Amino acid sequence: MTLSLVKSLKLHDQKVWSIDVSRGLLATSSSDRKIKLVNLKHQKFNVIEELDDSAHKKTVRSVAWRPHSHILAAGSFDSTISIWGKEENADYIDGELDTELLAIIEGHDNEVKSVAWSHDGFFLASCSRDKSVWIWEADEAGEEFECISVLQEHSQDVKHVVWHPSQALLASSSYDDTVRIWREHDDDWECAAVLAGHEGTVWCSDFAKSEGPNVRLCSASDDGTVRIWRYVEEDPDNEYEQIWEFEAVLPAVHTRSIYSVSWGSDGRIASVGSDGKVVVYKEVRKGSWEVQEEVSECHGVYEVNVVKWAEIDGRTVLVTGGDDGCTNIWTCN
Amino acid sequence: RLMTIERQNKQVNDLKMKALSLDQKHEEDEEIDPLDPQEIYDLIAHISDPEHPLSLGQLAVVNLADIEVHENDNKTGISEVIVKITPTITHCSLATLLGLGIRVRLDRCLPPRYRKTILLKEGSHQSENQVNKQLNDKERVAAACENDQLLGVVSKMLSTCK
Repeated sequence: MTLSLVKSLKLHDQKVWSIDVSRGLLATSSSDRKIKLVNLKHQKFNVIEELDDSAHKKTVRSVAWRPHSHILAAGSFDSTISIWGKEENADYIDGELDTELLAIIEGHDNEVKSVAWSHDGFFLASCSRDKSVWIWEADEAGEEFECISVLQEHSQDVKHVVWHPSQALLASSSYDDTVRIWREHDDDWECAAVLAGHEGTVWCSDFAKSEGPNVRLCSASDDGTVRIWRYVEEDPDNEYEQIWEFEAVLPAVHTRSIYSVSWGSDGRIASVGSDGKVVVYKEVRKGSWEVQEEVSECHGVYEVNVVKWAEIDGRTVLVTGGDDGCTNIWTCN
Repeated sequence: RLMTIERQNKQVNDLKMKALSLDQKHEEDEEIDPLDPQEIYDLIAHISDPEHPLSLGQLAVVNLADIEVHENDNKTGISEVIVKITPTITHCSLATLLGLGIRVRLDRCLPPRYRKTILLKEGSHQSENQVNKQLNDKERVAAACENDQLLGVVSKMLSTCK
């Protein structure tokens, strides 16, 4: 089994901070304030569009495709979120696109660090250095956004938000070294659990895919570890709260901060970080993990900020983004 | 006449290629030349203190003995520089700014293979862990560098560097 580089795309002049892939379409964002859209299908790897770079005045930190649509959300250090879309019947892959700015969402006091859509595309979550997580309800066109909740229980910057793949469950990772799990209750959102154990900033988390009623989450931290957490049951003593337990720590490979982690649909986990490594882990028994693949300097000597599993042309690939401005596509059989 | 122009073009191109390969060679030389603490010291000692008319070297905020370089066995591999700073007073409110100035200076001057860890010297500050965490948070540093006001102060601190 090998991890091999299929393509390295030099899309940006500065750090690539975020990538997202949906239906063969890659979106990337960077410190150069640009957002690029690339067709990954049929080994084409052609840049389809560069979005209007006057929309954000600072680093674009996070991009996220809305499920079942051609709408993209982008969060920036300029404290705003931009929403992008195009005519429904235009063909994204072959033709020239004319993606338009649909909305600019304001609300956060300072840097927006992550944006994420719920599985049904109904909610958009955002988080910021202002320590808060906001949940927005979106209309179908992606033009109207109503803030339905502002969650302020983290004591420090919130670095990352991610939704469960099929439930209305949100996880937020923070500089306060914890992950919080949030869920809807009576039209409001409540913190259901606090996952404490990391000994440093939690940069990213991701839910396990397709595990039926089981819910698990992996989290990546400045402390150099990836941890697995497991939902146990509803808390019998505290209404609305859940009991979660720490299940496992993945084999220690990284030597510096881990910036991103992704849980693939086949159950494998990938992580990247400051040490320039991409690592793939496989669960050999429930709760017992082995390193399946490890590639050093996967973006040369540069740090790697983001990793995501994606499906392209029916194959599973890994996509990574680094400080070298490159987005790399890897096959992992 | 056409021949002459072509020949001239070729000569210009040849020169360009030569210059390019010299550049590359120069870069390669830089890449494999290992760093020592003295070089790091020389890069940061002339940074000005934001409050005093003195440099960080003169104020002993940066000291040669508190700089470590850990070179990778592979000479072109990822390596680490650790700088421990000693603020002039243990409740120095500018400790974060001093660290940021040093980080920006090293980011601009060192090849990308060096990871920089900037720490307060043990026991030198009452909020040591808090400041250390902030100084080594890549995202916060990146955001700080997009803050015009902060960048203005840092640029002023760095203006005395050679």
